[in-house]
Amino acid sequence: MVATVLIVDDSKLARIVVGKAIAALQPDWRRLEAGGADEALALFENEAIDLVILDFNMPGRDGLELAEELRGRFADLPIAVATANVQDEIIARARAANAAFIAKPVSEEGLRGFISGAALRLRSAGR
Amino acid sequence: MTDTVDAAIRPENAGAAVDLDALRALAGPLFDALAGSGVAITVTDPRQHDDPIVFVNAAFEALTGYEAAEVMGRNCRFLQAEGVDPQAVAGLAGTLENAGSATVDLLNVRRDGTRFWNRLNVTTLKDAAGRPAFRFATQTDVSADYGDEDLGRELRSTRQRLAEAKERLRVAQTVAGAEGAWEWNIAQGRLVADARFAGLYGLDPIAAANGLPTSAFFDAVFAADRLRLKIAVAGALNGAEVFARDYRVLVDGELRWVSAKGRTYLDAQDRPVRFAGVLADITEQKRVEERLRIAQSAGGVGSFEYLSGFGTVEVSDTFCGLLGLQPATSLPVRTINAVVDPEDQPLIGGRESERLGPAFHEFRIQRADTGEARWLACRGEHQAAPSGGVSFIGVIYDVTATKRSEDRLRDLAAALEARVEVSNQERDRVWNLSRDLLSISGRDGAYRAVNPAWTALLGYEPVDLIGSVMGGLVHPDDREMAGELAAGLRTGEAVTDFDCRVLSKDGELHWINWTALPDGDFIYAVGRDITQRKLLEDQLRQSQKMEAVGQLTGGLAHDFNNMLTGMLGGMDMGRRRIAEGRIADAERFFEAATQSGQRAAALTHRLLAFSRRQSLDSRPLDVAALVASMEDLLRRTLGEQVRLETDVDADLWTAVADDNQLESAILNLAINARDAMPHGGRLTISARNVALSAARLAKSDRAEPGDYVEIGVADTGMGMSPDVLSKVFDPFFTTKPLGQGTGLGLSMIYGFVQQSRGHVEIESQEGAGAVIRLFLPRHRGEVADLVEETDDRAEGGAGETVLVVEDDPAVRLLVVQVLQELGYRAIETESGREAAPILQSARAIDLMITDVGLPGLNGRQLAEIARESRPDLPILFMTGYAEQAVDQSTFLAQGMEIITKPFAIDRFAKRISAILRRAEAEQA
Amino acid sequence: MSIQTIFLEELERDALTELVNIGVSRAASSLRKMVGEQVLLSVPSVEVVTRQGAATLIRERENGELVAVRQDFEGVFSGRALLIFPQANSMALVHAVTGGALSHGEAVDMEDEALAETGNVVLNSCLATMANMLQKPLQMSLPEVLRGDGASLFTLTDQHADGGVVLFLYINFAINDRDIRGYIAMLMDLPSLQALRSLIADFIERVAGDVG
Repeated sequence: MVATVLIVDDSKLARIVVGKAIAALQPDWRRLEAGGADEALALFENEAIDLVILDFNMPGRDGLELAEELRGRFADLPIAVATANVQDEIIARARAANAAFIAKPVSEEGLRGFISGAALRLRSAGR
Repeated sequence: MTDTVDAAIRPENAGAAVDLDALRALAGPLFDALAGSGVAITVTDPRQHDDPIVFVNAAFEALTGYEAAEVMGRNCRFLQAEGVDPQAVAGLAGTLENAGSATVDLLNVRRDGTRFWNRLNVTTLKDAAGRPAFRFATQTDVSADYGDEDLGRELRSTRQRLAEAKERLRVAQTVAGAEGAWEWNIAQGRLVADARFAGLYGLDPIAAANGLPTSAFFDAVFAADRLRLKIAVAGALNGAEVFARDYRVLVDGELRWVSAKGRTYLDAQDRPVRFAGVLADITEQKRVEERLRIAQSAGGVGSFEYLSGFGTVEVSDTFCGLLGLQPATSLPVRTINAVVDPEDQPLIGGRESERLGPAFHEFRIQRADTGEARWLACRGEHQAAPSGGVSFIGVIYDVTATKRSEDRLRDLAAALEARVEVSNQERDRVWNLSRDLLSISGRDGAYRAVNPAWTALLGYEPVDLIGSVMGGLVHPDDREMAGELAAGLRTGEAVTDFDCRVLSKDGELHWINWTALPDGDFIYAVGRDITQRKLLEDQLRQSQKMEAVGQLTGGLAHDFNNMLTGMLGGMDMGRRRIAEGRIADAERFFEAATQSGQRAAALTHRLLAFSRRQSLDSRPLDVAALVASMEDLLRRTLGEQVRLETDVDADLWTAVADDNQLESAILNLAINARDAMPHGGRLTISARNVALSAARLAKSDRAEPGDYVEIGVADTGMGMSPDVLSKVFDPFFTTKPLGQGTGLGLSMIYGFVQQSRGHVEIESQEGAGAVIRLFLPRHRGEVADLVEETDDRAEGGAGETVLVVEDDPAVRLLVVQVLQELGYRAIETESGREAAPILQSARAIDLMITDVGLPGLNGRQLAEIARESRPDLPILFMTGYAEQAVDQSTFLAQGMEIITKPFAIDRFAKRISAILRRAEAEQA
Repeated sequence: MSIQTIFLEELERDALTELVNIGVSRAASSLRKMVGEQVLLSVPSVEVVTRQGAATLIRERENGELVAVRQDFEGVFSGRALLIFPQANSMALVHAVTGGALSHGEAVDMEDEALAETGNVVLNSCLATMANMLQKPLQMSLPEVLRGDGASLFTLTDQHADGGVVLFLYINFAINDRDIRGYIAMLMDLPSLQALRSLIADFIERVAGDVG
């Protein structure tokens, strides 16, 4: 099963790190990248995106706002917020948007739970 | 798990590889199948020494955590846990020997330290000759068979963790030497500590080794340090990696310093798991450090302020610290001088101290606390105090290091002489590494060599300096002094402790403290940068002053508030009575208000005396009469609970002292005595003649052997502890709660007696009352000198004209009112500008009364103007406080007098009539 | 006597030092994961100094050009956090965090970007952990890379350019086996310091109760 994952982060380095971790866990998955919220939303118009990993601290709309908007449109979309901002408030907001929280720096280990959970959900959704 | 066989069969050496081929040959294809299965397998070679392992499979690696490479060539016994049943092991060996195969359960340890029960099935494979060639063993974790119930497993696992913790502690200890070690398991909330830790904390070592609640970490900690330690531990428990704290533990009544250093270990999710560290006893180190900290830090400068005649010196904490005394704001002169080596000049009040100007001397001390010998330097200035007398303000600092560096310098000189013969590496290191400026010059003063510190501190390269003459870098202001010293050096005089400013290459000024020594053809010099210290000296003095002001204000405010309450309340009540028409009744309230006012006046008088801004009016004094006159006042002050007794010798000598001061001293002592007898008692005031010997006056600074009048104030109160007793003469020392009394009483008395060239003794025991004896010198002149102001009543005026100059409207109103009531005519002016034209006019004026501190022209200047046109005009100055007025002989010209505010109307009236009468008599 | 005793009691200093210790330890752990090497920390230093004083503190230790990643934070207390290291270490750090993922050329192109992300992760870990300990949320700005000397790094905002005193927290770190060292610093002006004091008092109260 090939899934499409969208990585949204204003930092190219962060996108590389997350991409590498996903490649190690799911080598077959297609990876898309966006440098900000607007670019991410534009990608949703043209692409079938199965799961999203968002940075929190970005210029313009932050990752939680984007997560909340996406949740409104896609009730079942697996979303993860990746940030080093490990404040209790941020984690609580991510939970409230039904998004997973991943502490930066992102490692294979840190992503594993979210990726395998998402894979399971996608499979059971019959894709 | 397809590639595990290959992964594991990676023998380390060729010999082993051969063995494996032989093994395959013996065991057939079954071997590879077994090796690839999930069963843990080892193969050993009994033909080799100690039956080493020659093969393990991946399942073995998974079971034990060891990699193949780690176990190859080792005997299997390394797997056995501590305390494995030796009989089981011996049984296995025996069975193998006989039957060639055996099954046994052994307690084994994994690589990560966890234990498991290993069921071994060992089979011996024989070669063609029938000799054992390989031992083939399967291994299975059968721990579950042994853990009959969860409880047992839990117990074992706890024991196991405990053992691990102990092991880690043991390792920590070995690494750390003679230190105690602890391990705090954060999840379980248990603290395990070794015997040394337990010893330092006063814990039972067995209980500590077996684990205690974590609160044990704080139990022995000295209360004052506990919260700080808790904060630091809270940091560690929440993930702070670095933990380092010095704190005190109180064990068996003994306070010891310990130093704890630890680390928090996190799991993969960054959660803190355990907090472990080592603890060392640093009590001795702290003691030494504390001593050295004061003496060696750049800021180790103690400041002091001394007024000649006083028995005490105002000092800073560092001052006390340098002498090894407890911190205090004030110290008795004798306490300070007692620390100084008897052969050296005393710190305070040496014979040279009468000379004005800057003073410097070095002296040795024996620290009061440790007895350690140190060299101190004292630098200060003697100045004429505004009130007469001499003030000595200065600083002391430790120069032991400098003294030692002189020695070092001498050594250096000796080493340099031997330069040709021996290249002394040690000496070069001193030369190269010293932060002090070191130099060698010829007798002509020209630099021959300078050390690298010159470059580091001042920016000069040796090439900038070599050949130039010493002193060229000195700030112009200091050059004269430096030149004199340099000339001295050329003639063989050493320079010690000379401070001057030196310009660095980039133009900055550095204060350098110099020591220089001529020796043979050379001059050796050491300079230390003391710029920082110079800055601190100023800061310290300023902050110390602020401290004293703060302390004083609290007490004074209280006293003055009480007096103001008495005055305002009394006047208010008086006014009400008058409004009610009860005039007679009003009188006593006004009387009360007046008394409060007089007490306030007396307090300012005493304060001014204390600060030496008011001179003492020492004159022959009938102590017996004074005591008798005070009896009534004292009875009222003391209340009914305290019985007053007086015991005055009939033939009491006349003393020399200021009567007001003695009166207030007796009153003060009586009040102190009353406060020491809250449940009542007896107060005895005695007076008798005594002759004091030199021995008895050994501790006195001013008194000479001879005849004295002794005034004793004895109570039957609670007495004083030796601790309190040692401090009672310190200014601001008080046992009363904050804001109740200034704490100035006894120190003022002390000051007064000292100034009167008398002596004070205090004797007390806790619970057994106290007696304070004041000794005032006997008057040697004629008793006829005792002249009282003759007439009691002021004569009324006869229309004389008085010019009044006073800027305060209330005082002016009062003065004018009094004059008019007495029958004078008053001209009212509020400034010199207003008064001057009147003085220069032709109007008849019989007397001028003027305030001293006027805006614009002051009273004294106005008097000059008056005297130009009216050389005989009597002038009466009024003053609240004027420094120049204190020395009346220079301030007052002929026909001028002074009266200090506040004054009683009666006294004022008397002065006026006396002046006018005298003027009249002179003119007649 | 010194300026700092005026503003912070001994206990408050202790507590603040510990908070910084906790935050920075978390930051070091993040950095450790990014570079795959041990990160060594010093004991944190907490001082109340003038801004020039803060600059001098760093300058006395580092005389070359500095690079800093700066992140401002705002909340009950506000200020600026900085990850500072010598300019000479910059590329070594970029290589360390990008690992083998980039060629040298790519790494050079990405220098500022990589520094910003590193600073973002390190400073966010630190500040967020401190905010959690104090139980008050903080908003963090986007990271910004600065180059220059100490003085330019320590100016807070224009309205505070009065040369007044700041709370200056710093800790120095070194990365094992690589010649990389630097500082994590925090600056807070006085109004923030007052707010921080009351939070610290709460923290002390919690600690006095719950440890042991």
